[in-house]
Amino acid sequence: MNTVLSRANSLFAFSLSVMAALTFGCFVTTAFKDRRVPVDIHVSRVMLKNVDDFTGPRERSDLGFITFDLSPIFDWNVKQLFLYLSAEYTTKSNSLNQVVLWDKIVLRGENPKLNLRDMKSKYFFFDDGNGLRANKNITLSLSWNVVPNAGVLPLVGGSGQVSLPFPETYETTRSY
Amino acid sequence: MLSVFKSIPSHMDYKGQKLAEQIFQGVILISAVIGFVYGLVIEQFGWTVYIVLAGFVVSCVLTLPPWPMYRKNPLSWQPIIPEINPEPTQKPQETLKKKKHK
Repeated sequence: MNTVLSRANSLFAFSLSVMAALTFGCFVTTAFKDRRVPVDIHVSRVMLKNVDDFTGPRERSDLGFITFDLSPIFDWNVKQLFLYLSAEYTTKSNSLNQVVLWDKIVLRGENPKLNLRDMKSKYFFFDDGNGLRANKNITLSLSWNVVPNAGVLPLVGGSGQVSLPFPETYETTRSY
Repeated sequence: MLSVFKSIPSHMDYKGQKLAEQIFQGVILISAVIGFVYGLVIEQFGWTVYIVLAGFVVSCVLTLPPWPMYRKNPLSWQPIIPEINPEPTQKPQETLKKKKHK
């Protein structure tokens, strides 16, 4: 510690160790928090198509209506939230299918009370096979991935779900 | 340019070094505790980092330059004893040099 450089070296190393300990403390204070929030989803229209150039895909145009309030989740360890709406159903060929229809990134500092109306699905709802026609039960649920400043990334499901049946026939394209 | 920086004396005596180490460890730990509590209260980890950085800058200013409080216990060196007979030590070296040239 005789020269300026050796003093600066030990000072800098000490402050980095202290910063690492503080980050670990930040992780510990929020590690066991329950991040589920009630969610309200409504679906207004479902359309089913069969397109030829891919094995039995369907396209779904679904006007959804979602309300939820996410502000209890944002604490000092949360950097952003990644939301996604997924549909879950069973078919004859596969016992469990999950398809993501829509997602959104919510950064810290943006409005956490989300009231989304007339949302269309962002991604195509393709099925591996022909299992969507006359499917009795398709469950829509909203889940999110919490991206923290320090620590684990938990995957949390919202507590509201909506189940709806799909129509029996395909939409026929009108020819003029 | 570097020779200008190297010629500035930056030494401290031993008690001063110990005092400097205690000072910077204390300042950084106190700023870490204050920053952690403040960040926890207002729920932003960025403020914790800013407070620790401020503590780092304060302890840099307090401990890096050699203030007079770190030089209060200098080591008492013995006074310089001038050499009495320089010649007998120089002659064998001169003869050795002549032998090497041949």
